[in-house]
Amino acid sequence: MESRHPIDWSVLSGPYVSRRTLMKLAMGTGAAAFAASLQASPKASAASALQEPVTGGTLRLGFLNSQIVTLDPGLLAQGVVAGSILPSLHSSLVQFDTDLGIIPDLAEDWTVSEDGLSYSFTLREGITFHNGDAITSADFQYTFDRTTNPDFASPHANKLASVTDFQTPDERTVTLTLSDPFAPFLAVACTRGPGRALTPVSARAIEEMGDEQFGMTPVGSGPFMIVPETYDVGQGFDMVAFDGWYGGRPYLDTIEVRLVPEPSSAVSGLEAGDLDAIDPVPATSFEQLNSNSDLVVLQQPSTMWRGVVMNYARPPWDNPVARMAVSKAIDRQAFVDTAFFGLATPGIGAIAPAFGWAYVDPATVENPQGYNLDEAKALAEEAGIVGVQPVIISSEEIGQRPTEVLRTALTEIGLDPQVDFQQAATFNERWQSGDFDLFLHGSVVDADPDDGHWNIFHSTGPWNTYGYNSADADALLEATRATSDQAERARLFQELQVVLQTDVAAAFVYHVFDLFAHHADVQGVVGIPEQRYYEKVWLDR
Amino acid sequence: MARYLIRRLIHSAFLIWGVATLVFFAIRLVPGDPVVQMLGPEYTPEAADAMRQKLGLDESIGSQYVKWMGDLLRGDMGSSIATNETVVDAIRTGLPKTLSLSLVAFIIGVGIALPTGILAALKRNTWIDYLASLIAFIGVSMPGFWLGILLIIVFSVNLGWFPALGYAELRDDGFRAWIERLILPGIAIGTAYAAILMRFVRAGLLETMSSDYIRTARAKGVAEPGVIARHAMRNALIPVVTVMGIQLALLLSGTVAVEMVFSIRGIGRILIGAIFDRDYPMVQGIVLLIAVIFVLANLAVDILYTAIDPRIRYA
Repeated sequence: MESRHPIDWSVLSGPYVSRRTLMKLAMGTGAAAFAASLQASPKASAASALQEPVTGGTLRLGFLNSQIVTLDPGLLAQGVVAGSILPSLHSSLVQFDTDLGIIPDLAEDWTVSEDGLSYSFTLREGITFHNGDAITSADFQYTFDRTTNPDFASPHANKLASVTDFQTPDERTVTLTLSDPFAPFLAVACTRGPGRALTPVSARAIEEMGDEQFGMTPVGSGPFMIVPETYDVGQGFDMVAFDGWYGGRPYLDTIEVRLVPEPSSAVSGLEAGDLDAIDPVPATSFEQLNSNSDLVVLQQPSTMWRGVVMNYARPPWDNPVARMAVSKAIDRQAFVDTAFFGLATPGIGAIAPAFGWAYVDPATVENPQGYNLDEAKALAEEAGIVGVQPVIISSEEIGQRPTEVLRTALTEIGLDPQVDFQQAATFNERWQSGDFDLFLHGSVVDADPDDGHWNIFHSTGPWNTYGYNSADADALLEATRATSDQAERARLFQELQVVLQTDVAAAFVYHVFDLFAHHADVQGVVGIPEQRYYEKVWLDR
Repeated sequence: MARYLIRRLIHSAFLIWGVATLVFFAIRLVPGDPVVQMLGPEYTPEAADAMRQKLGLDESIGSQYVKWMGDLLRGDMGSSIATNETVVDAIRTGLPKTLSLSLVAFIIGVGIALPTGILAALKRNTWIDYLASLIAFIGVSMPGFWLGILLIIVFSVNLGWFPALGYAELRDDGFRAWIERLILPGIAIGTAYAAILMRFVRAGLLETMSSDYIRTARAKGVAEPGVIARHAMRNALIPVVTVMGIQLALLLSGTVAVEMVFSIRGIGRILIGAIFDRDYPMVQGIVLLIAVIFVLANLAVDILYTAIDPRIRYA
């Protein structure tokens, strides 16, 4: 699977790796489906372009989470917080546009060498941290050293593991060298929000307050600053506009982040007017909120996927015929209609719809593992799995509805699945130790399709605890990392998708929508899948 | 009295130590790994090992226990695995909310239970009595969180009388902001409490009303309100106070679910989160706190007896 033709990595260079570039490349390489999928990219919300934005006001944001453990980019492991909250407090080298293309943030431009090993970023002039200190390349050196320090135990150190050299030739230049080409590097290590590994932090602030306090009252470089005395790990905190942000002062004065662990409470709070926006929206409440004329529900494709994985270590699930029987027993459209009230897309693979540059529209291709009940029954007979009682593990994160819909579907081919619904901690331990017959595996919030593929389908992937091991899949996965040309990566992911479908590495089932709701007077909400940028949000009051 | 108190306090200390030990081992028997939980999607075996070492979870359970007990004796309850905040800080921010909520629920509960209980007893076997019993039955049967959601829909979403969620600090935000956020959750918790108390008020009052000294009081010409207030209630209240104390458990356990619904981060919500996260130090610390509250509440009830009934003396 070595590259078929020489690849010019420099296409990843800045200041804009966008849909337009990708589209041109896609047309050139004849990936028509890919180009078509880009047309259907997410749209910004119904913010009226006619009105002049107004400065001022407070946005009360209900964030559906029980706690925000830390706001230190180097330590934050909660993916949803990284996408929804962190971008307001911390700028980074680059950021996403609405198609998850990559555009400048603190770096005004960057280059990637043709061999994909050297990255060079040029920082903007006059950028500062919230405490007024200028941001220079030395701050990135400090951040790099901090993240990779073993004593610091950053969960993001692995994203910098292949960096062999980190240099700051002058105040505005950051260069680094990788040991091997790693295509998702910009997305997973450098973006505002998810790219926590290289999100710059103020050395002076950390020395003054210590790592622990810094997690509660971080000094970053984003459009909003935390109000230190308001931070409460389980209640939330306030963020105020940062006048010195390079992009100009945000319109809002304040964002009150209120943690609401109970979804129905958040919905009531929004309806009662105690909250101006809630993130995300529970699927069960979509209709109720969407039919309320005072509210706007933003619906976007997500970066996640889920599908049924079957444990190769537990016969009969090592038998591809048995796995195919399971896959063909699931009517994906009925599944998303019943389990998610239609607020999900039937899945044929692990490439999520938000990654428009690689996503394959299910309508345009044949899915070898798609729904066919007659064939599923025949395969079940052939594999001798009729009457088998597989244990399905599940948890609140997956949800009872999807689990129950899956169970019902499998009874159609004569299985008698036993659902073992567990608390998250127990569930996580069980799937990680391989203690299950099958479950709805998948990825959650990703910056690049690499996260949702490599971890689960590579033979050495940390989340591959069900024993999938395919030389073809490994080679394709390695090729996606070694290729920086996104059109080529898209092609490789699509080729991989067919391998995964045929092997039934997973019976792919769905991608849920990313839902965000706000009052109609909240304007300027930008639709970026699973990322929230609030600097252009304003209140029409 | 002093000797009695000292004896009780020593007993209490042993009881609390027993609870602490039990919780320490019980939470570790529950499947689930706090480190895995904390890393979430960033989990890799290397990151997990590094974190385990950082948190001291790579040591044996025995040495963890000894260390925890040692720290505890020095007044150090440790720090949360999940959030890094110290257990003492979590309690300091959470306990006032839970106590405020419990206080409001208690006042609402007693405020409902006393008049309805008395009324039901005085109008025994009339439709008022039956209605009160029916309402009490519904009140006991209704889960607090469900009632809470109902109250939010009616009084916050539809009528807009009260905020739907959150908590306000009495000191910073003023009494009005504080109380208006506690009334709905207070009703949600206080209703079940009121229903139980009301049954005891009714039963206690009925029993005393038929006793000889009440007949005597009436015979000597005391007016009926005086009979009830001065003669009957004091005796009828003894079992009620006992139940009030025992049912503090109901109030506290009620706050757990209701704090979730109303998005108030009191100790109940902290405890739930800690259990889900397998946050050992936090679970241990809060269960210990609850044990202390219970032991002290029971002690307070025993002492209160002497105030209500001068015949009761402790030696």
